[in-house]
Amino acid sequence: MLNIFIFELRYRFSRPATYMYFGILLLVSLLLFASGSTPATEKVFHNAPITIANLMLVVSLFGILIASAVMGVPMYRDIEHKTGTFLFSLPISKNAYFMGRFWGSFVTLLFISLGVVIGIYLGTIIGAATGWTPAERYGPNLFMNYFHPWITLVVPNLWFFSTLFFALIIFTKNIKAIYSGGIIVFIIYLLTNFLSNDLDNKQLVQILDPIGLNSFIIQVEYLTPFEQNSYRVDISGNLLINRILWISIGFFLFIASYLRFSFKYFFQATSKKPKAETVENFTSTTLLKKVSTSFSNIYQRRSLITLSKLEIKNVLKDSYFRAILLGGLVFLVIDFWIGSTIYSVPNQPSTSFLMQFKGYDYVVFVFIILVFFGGETLHRDKSSGYSSISDTFPIKDGVVIASKFLGMATICLLLASLPIIVGLVVQTLKGYYNYDIGVYLVDSFLISFPDYLQMLMLVFAVHLIVNNKFAGHAVSIGIWLVMIVLRDFADFNFNLFFFSYKPGYLWSDLNGLGHFGAPLLWFNLYWTAFGVFLILFFSLFYARGSDINFRKRLQQGKGRLKNSTAILSYVLLFTSIALGGYIFKTVVYTNGYITSTEAEKRQADYEKQLKKYEFIAQPKIVSVKVDAEIFPKKRDAFSKVLVEMVNKTTEPIDSLHLNFSGATFFHALYNKDTLDYRFPLSYDKPKFQIFGKKEEKPWYKIYALPKTLMPGDTLELELHSALTNQGFANSGYSREIVYNGTFIGQSMPSIGYSSGSELSSDEKRKKYDLPEKIDDLPPHDDPYGMRTMLFNDDADLVTFEATVGTSSDQIAIAPGYLQKEWTEGDRRYFHYVQDSKIDLFYNLVSADYAVYSDKAKVPNGSDVNIEIFHLASHDYNLDRFSAAFKDGIEYFSTVYGPYQFRQMRLLEFPRYANFAQSFPNTVPYSEGFGWIADFSDPDDFDYAYFVTAHELAHQWWGHQVVPNSTRGANLISESLAEYTALILSERKYGKANMKSFLEDELDGYLRGRAFESKKENVFIDCNRSYQWYRKGSLILYGLRDFIGDSSMNKAIRGFRDEFAHKETPPFAGSHDLYRHFELVTPDSLKYYLEDTWKKITLYENRAITASAKKLNDNLYEVTLNISSQKLYADSTGQESPADYDGDYMDIGIFAAQDKDEQGRTRTNPLYLEKHKIQPGEHTITLTVKQEPITAGIDPLNKLIDRRKDDNTVDVEIID
Amino acid sequence: MQLSIQNLSKTYSNGVKALNDVSLNIPTGMFGLLGPNGAGKSTLMRTIATLQDADSGSIMLDELNVMENPQAIRERLGYLPQDFGLYPKISAEVMLDHIAQMKGVGNRAERKELVNSLLEKVNLYDHRKKALGTYSGGMRQRFGIAQALAGNPNLIIVDEPTAGLDPTERNRFYNLLSEIGENTIIILSTHIVEDVSTLCSNMAIICNGEVLMQGKPTDGLQLLQHNIFAKIIKKDELEAHKLKYKVISTKLKEGNLALRVEADSNPGNGFEQVEPNLEDVYFSHISKKVDPITL
Repeated sequence: MLNIFIFELRYRFSRPATYMYFGILLLVSLLLFASGSTPATEKVFHNAPITIANLMLVVSLFGILIASAVMGVPMYRDIEHKTGTFLFSLPISKNAYFMGRFWGSFVTLLFISLGVVIGIYLGTIIGAATGWTPAERYGPNLFMNYFHPWITLVVPNLWFFSTLFFALIIFTKNIKAIYSGGIIVFIIYLLTNFLSNDLDNKQLVQILDPIGLNSFIIQVEYLTPFEQNSYRVDISGNLLINRILWISIGFFLFIASYLRFSFKYFFQATSKKPKAETVENFTSTTLLKKVSTSFSNIYQRRSLITLSKLEIKNVLKDSYFRAILLGGLVFLVIDFWIGSTIYSVPNQPSTSFLMQFKGYDYVVFVFIILVFFGGETLHRDKSSGYSSISDTFPIKDGVVIASKFLGMATICLLLASLPIIVGLVVQTLKGYYNYDIGVYLVDSFLISFPDYLQMLMLVFAVHLIVNNKFAGHAVSIGIWLVMIVLRDFADFNFNLFFFSYKPGYLWSDLNGLGHFGAPLLWFNLYWTAFGVFLILFFSLFYARGSDINFRKRLQQGKGRLKNSTAILSYVLLFTSIALGGYIFKTVVYTNGYITSTEAEKRQADYEKQLKKYEFIAQPKIVSVKVDAEIFPKKRDAFSKVLVEMVNKTTEPIDSLHLNFSGATFFHALYNKDTLDYRFPLSYDKPKFQIFGKKEEKPWYKIYALPKTLMPGDTLELELHSALTNQGFANSGYSREIVYNGTFIGQSMPSIGYSSGSELSSDEKRKKYDLPEKIDDLPPHDDPYGMRTMLFNDDADLVTFEATVGTSSDQIAIAPGYLQKEWTEGDRRYFHYVQDSKIDLFYNLVSADYAVYSDKAKVPNGSDVNIEIFHLASHDYNLDRFSAAFKDGIEYFSTVYGPYQFRQMRLLEFPRYANFAQSFPNTVPYSEGFGWIADFSDPDDFDYAYFVTAHELAHQWWGHQVVPNSTRGANLISESLAEYTALILSERKYGKANMKSFLEDELDGYLRGRAFESKKENVFIDCNRSYQWYRKGSLILYGLRDFIGDSSMNKAIRGFRDEFAHKETPPFAGSHDLYRHFELVTPDSLKYYLEDTWKKITLYENRAITASAKKLNDNLYEVTLNISSQKLYADSTGQESPADYDGDYMDIGIFAAQDKDEQGRTRTNPLYLEKHKIQPGEHTITLTVKQEPITAGIDPLNKLIDRRKDDNTVDVEIID
Repeated sequence: MQLSIQNLSKTYSNGVKALNDVSLNIPTGMFGLLGPNGAGKSTLMRTIATLQDADSGSIMLDELNVMENPQAIRERLGYLPQDFGLYPKISAEVMLDHIAQMKGVGNRAERKELVNSLLEKVNLYDHRKKALGTYSGGMRQRFGIAQALAGNPNLIIVDEPTAGLDPTERNRFYNLLSEIGENTIIILSTHIVEDVSTLCSNMAIICNGEVLMQGKPTDGLQLLQHNIFAKIIKKDELEAHKLKYKVISTKLKEGNLALRVEADSNPGNGFEQVEPNLEDVYFSHISKKVDPITL
């Protein structure tokens, strides 16, 4: 056995492939780590133990390929070379042969895997030494940080792959089975990947992922930067089960193969003997008849068709094609069936939503098919040996290539059509009959089909020039890998230079394909022309017959450079250059393309050149009159805004700074005359403007005021601006003005320098010699911050009116009450007036809407008009939106203070962005965020209701009480909106229904702090969305649980009354709200308020065991063992145990869940009370009156706890 | 119609000289190309079949230059290569129908008839629905023959056609070839002398890329008339005989060697004159190039 083992090793280590695999792994890891292209956020070292482990796992995904080559081949080699027959005669035992081969190959594989380990190590050294990546981004290189993930994650993976591939060879004796095995492992991985999108599946995913990548990610997802730097992954819980499971499956496969294996079995000739031929002594006496033949042009054409048909047959009958296609189909069905969910709620299977999902997994299978079968098709004749016959047929070379291409093009067509069939089936099965055939056809045949064809063209061109199947596969995949790496890691994104790349697109029910159609069409023409050129040109180097080598093909090709195919190819090349020229012009010149590095540099230039103006005295706007014209079909909008400004400072002002980067142009007019300005920025010339520099758009203007504005003086200006779209940008995006569903968030210039436009990444700032930017906003007591409103510093509260014109088929909406509506020619106008002062925060919306109306009653008895502007077919959840408005207006007015408007409106806009935004009495709400959600499961979290309530709550929190511009002030707007919406939802759907939402919030908070790239602030200084949304709702909901509804409402009402509609500074900050909460919180609970607002606090609560003794018929004595510990974390996420004498938390015992009358799941607490729990382990004994099922500590996850799943355990009943 | 090959030479990139100034005139009818393995037969045939080019020389089919006008040759060619493969997932019937179409048989009905009769001729009719991947070696070879005859070829090149055929099938093949009409050139390469003696009206012997003899088989026999002598010897006497005589072939016969030598007159020493056969012609020629014993 040792002999064979050593023989195997010696053989392996004499093969260049072994070193090649090793070298590739080493090089890739080295480059990733030296260039700093790891998933580590800025405060995490590139070589943090968690980052290293993560990369090793990702690489082991590719390890499937290497393992299949290394493990599959050794035994197969013996079959192939027929050495097996000799082995019979040698004195080698089965055991020695099997073990020798296996372990020899396995050790080789382990050696290869060390390439990653060494590559990472060298990468960190080289990256730091060369300054490619700042040295401080690398932490200490500890041996265990490398060894631990290698031995616990990589080696088990390799073990599983090895035993799997070995078993496949032994059981099937067919090398191709290896591919299938690899694909199956990959499919299971993709499946777990898919499942992991839903919080509820985490446990299952952790156990099932054969590669352990998802298991690992779930295991470490809440680790803070400090922890990622300091600790190695904890192989415990589900991750441990996962490892044990797959290692065991490996053992099982290993033993099974060993038992199955015998020389006799394995090396038996496998060629199935054809059944004994029935030798009929039949001799045909007829002579062969003469047939008529013709070789005219019709012959060539007809041959093209029959050859193509045969090619299609060849592919369709291929079992590997079928297997891969089946894999793709499985994912297509799953992705279409489930789609993307929000709070685990699916959408209606609208066609325009479905089409998006084929880009998730299906496209990967399409890619595999096209790459492999594209090459396979071209090489089929040669590799099958048929070419020695077919090359003598009188068909032209062009017909041969064309037929191969047509055959595969038909396969492309099939692949493009499959989603239609699956889509129609899924829609029908789900009872959704609103099939949008137009979307199906356009997306499949005008977008996907050309895309697949282009992919195929490149594959063909590669194979025509490389003329070796395996090298061709490698080159094709290589080209795509290089493109992906350049785009994803090197930030190159200029689509024109990336074969077959196009601007992205998204279907919308409101806007159809909209403005994405044009760039897609241009790019598709461009790439198709180029692709055809590639095929035609490289077909010149195609040669048939035997005795072909590269030199000969080159020679032959050279001889053909002037034939008609060549000339046609030049024509197509020039066509594609011309098309590319147009695209270049519109992307680079018309739409001002700059690279992402240039964009960064410009941000730095902006800060360096203009930061000095940040706090200069500027007037504030007090009145706004908008006169806007929207031209949806042209995607243009022009606005004239009459503004009145007042110098509210104590200094004279002689210049006005206006900026509007999103506008095509803007001007300021005084007394009808355009004011002169200066553009203070100087930028480098964009690299792509190689045909001369285009003049920079003056987007920041410094105007000399016609007269100095003394303190208290007013100034009236007319601000003209244009938002226009010409051609298309590199991204193809530009979502504001669209054919149907325009949503303009800004239509006038804003005043002065904005620190929000600065570079925020400290690593990048360092690159441009800018100081670290620790916090965006000043502390809570900063005088400038306290007198400035958070959402803009241009104005305090303003009077507002707007006249908006749009096309005659659309309704235009702006904040305010509709005064008048009229038509002029083919234009329709709407005049809105806001009769109370509002924050300077308005929007313009225009679309072809259906309107749903309702009314809410406020406590003083008057009505509030509710209007929902929606796409006529999106009427699924109107009642939910409307209910949220009604319930909210009534409840919030009662408990928090009167609603300030007489109307409330919800406006649907296309799903190019997934959010809702609350303007005064006006809420644009994205199409993708609930309009077609399918809430048929009663347990679903009604996020349409919740989000609408949240936006409505902003009318109080944000509009009535405007936060100031200090650190943490945004919690007034967002945390209060989130909390009050949560309360409203709880009132409607009950406590239990909130559970999944709260879990999601907890997950969001813990994840957010794990990805924190600077430092985590305490809540009162919150500066991140994961804090003000996620943590905010959790801790306010928690506080309410302690102090009760009425105290909460009293505090919030008090706070609101202090600041509502306040026109003069100081405006509200986070400490003001805190003050009101402090007032209502009893001393015994102050610790909670402080823990949640002024510290970062986490609990490690765990239920250890629970048992119950039946005392009599319906009395049970429950003994519960729990442990509890409070932890404080610093801003990097470093935790330390808190020193305290006990905190209040729930102890709960539950009976079985059941369904309530609405069909919702109901939890049935038998006991749920607050206990003061000291740190450490405790035993609690309680008596309940029904059979207990589960019990635990903080069972409803009201406290922030990273392991929420271990808070409850099942109760064991002891007789 | 005549195929005339003039001064054809070919050297492969690995230095092997496969054809060395080959000139042949091939009239209509069956032409046998005899030669040992590696003689250059397949190179010559592939060159005629337009699969590869020669370094120098020309091939003319009447007025038609084969190398300059491969298309015209392909239109009238039927070719059975020595090594070939087929699409494993396609049935014989579909494949042959397809090939017939490639050979210009445009009429569907005519093609169907042709396919059926060809499959019948090569005794594959009962297996016509089976995928070619399931065929045995012999069946594949027979399919190869069928495809070479599809269409209206009047230049048929069959490279080692009888390899892998059992005696019955070989007979069937002979019958089939003999049915092919006149005004057709059939070039058959083989190292089996019987193939030539049974079928061919003209022949050539090539070895090491050179033409050693061409003409009618009878001409060859005529030349050797009275010059072939046979004797049975012990194995260990071979070396001595090789030194003394022009040994052209040896055959094992009941443990001893049956020796055939070529000589102008009976060398005595136990030799007896025998009637020459085509094998003698063959060996007589190639023994000039290679040691017959090693053959």
